[in-house]
Amino acid sequence: MARHDDGVITVGRSRTGTFFANATGIVFGLIMIFPVYWVLNTAFKPDSEVRSFTPTFWPHDFTLDNFKSALGEELFIPSMINGLIITAMAVAAALVVGFLAALAIARFSFYGRKAIILVVLAVQLVPFLALLIPLFLMLQSANLTNSLVGVALVYLVLLLPYTVWTLRGFISGIPRELDEAAMIDGCTRAQVFWRIILPLTGPGLVATSVYGFIQAWNEFIIINTLNDPKNQNLMAWLLYNQTERGTAWGPLMAGAIITSIPVVVFFLLIQRNIATGLTAGAVKG
Amino acid sequence: MRHGKYPFIIGFLAVPVALYATFVVAAYIQTFQLSVASWSGFGPIKYVGFDNFVKLWNDDLFWKSLRHNGYLLLLLPIVTIALGLLFAFLLNVGGGSKGGMTRGVWGSKVYRVIFFFPQLMALAIVAVIFGRVFASDKSGMINGLLPDSWAPWLFLADERWALTCILVVLVWQAVGFYVVLFSAGMGSIEHEIYEAAALDGATRVTLFFRITLPLLWGTIQTAWVYLGIAAFDAFALINIMTVDRGGPDGATSVLAMMIYRNTFEYSQVGYASALGVVLFFLTLTFAALTLRVTRRDAV
Repeated sequence: MARHDDGVITVGRSRTGTFFANATGIVFGLIMIFPVYWVLNTAFKPDSEVRSFTPTFWPHDFTLDNFKSALGEELFIPSMINGLIITAMAVAAALVVGFLAALAIARFSFYGRKAIILVVLAVQLVPFLALLIPLFLMLQSANLTNSLVGVALVYLVLLLPYTVWTLRGFISGIPRELDEAAMIDGCTRAQVFWRIILPLTGPGLVATSVYGFIQAWNEFIIINTLNDPKNQNLMAWLLYNQTERGTAWGPLMAGAIITSIPVVVFFLLIQRNIATGLTAGAVKG
Repeated sequence: MRHGKYPFIIGFLAVPVALYATFVVAAYIQTFQLSVASWSGFGPIKYVGFDNFVKLWNDDLFWKSLRHNGYLLLLLPIVTIALGLLFAFLLNVGGGSKGGMTRGVWGSKVYRVIFFFPQLMALAIVAVIFGRVFASDKSGMINGLLPDSWAPWLFLADERWALTCILVVLVWQAVGFYVVLFSAGMGSIEHEIYEAAALDGATRVTLFFRITLPLLWGTIQTAWVYLGIAAFDAFALINIMTVDRGGPDGATSVLAMMIYRNTFEYSQVGYASALGVVLFFLTLTFAALTLRVTRRDAV
């Protein structure tokens, strides 16, 4: 079966097969990228070109006006700041609370441990929408509707299951012998958690914070239900503007690009870790 | 060495347990309570027994929505996992072998980033983009590319195809993550196994079905659970993309969509809560089934 030509050994596979594999890759790559490219293309076009019925695949008159008008839009900047505050609060709280809970579940055996794990899992599966009414009533009685803290609290509850579950996987992967060795050397239990387990869980914390950031930054239904237009995040702003002024595609796409920037930057920063981070916790179970 | 573990356990779990007790358990108890009531969201609550559930049973839209939930729950995981496996395989070992080393197809590193992009985009933005892709006049991306003589395709405005359009968007957004997930799984399969099989004359197809698939089974099960959750969450996309929120004529309605509309548009909080109870038991059934099938021993 082995062929030798120009030093290439092709074992058991035909050249045509390789060609088809490459072609499939290119076709699907294009399908995946096309809508993203179209957003960029539209965002840099003047309005007249966006509305034209003959689509242009590259902006003829390159313009930044769409970005200017999106940024100048009422409530755009406030919505962005709201989104950042809510996301930061929810993710930071989820990391602290989630790490401690994961520690308890992974490192101690106690009565009710299995029940807690099952409840955490079940909650992740149940659609949050079914809880929207009681949540609204509850936050209303605590004066937390139309506030950033109220939304951040709800997001914290949403992020916790994934955070606990993933971090638990990471912590279980750290050999207990390390804890014991450190304790023999005179570490207290708290020092073991702080000095040994926390640093070793680093990739897990990165992965869960990425997940948390993306979830909280991109959420719009809960915030839209709980808060007035002045306390929305960028996603809710984007949708509101789509329905309000449905035809202004240029500024809308520019707004969409600005809205995506934090997530993309975050992703590029940690891109190397993301595959290991996301999968390690998931597969270990 | 074991003494004094309870202060840690209680300290570490107090906050999450308190959060769950208020935001999830108490909230669900209230949903159950409201499901046997007739309430508009304001004023006194009138308890009506199982009237809401009887009404549900006779509601055509409920059965239609339930079917749509099932459709997404089945097809989203199947299509996404199939495509994810195919791409991951192409990226890792699909490109033929050189000097005895199996490789990915040309440009695999670029694809890895491209495939992940949709995952990073917010649902709100995805909805806006695909609103353009599926526009039902000549300004739409697909209709614009079709020959002028053709009648424009209706996409989301067509009862028969609206739900399929939603499925396409969900798959488009999800598949990148699973390519990365499966790629990581395939990366941990020893190259020697492929080499050995290839030397024995195995084709790509054989390599895939005889080596990759069995060794990735655990990862595929994890993916199934995540995609099942995503299918239940499809409401967000349906809410912002479809004609008349779940239309045309209920063609894209799902249970969550019904809950939302009954609460915020028709002020039928009791009826919406009854739907919430049904959704609760459906998801728990799904969870129990998947947990049983995947049998996570480490729990």
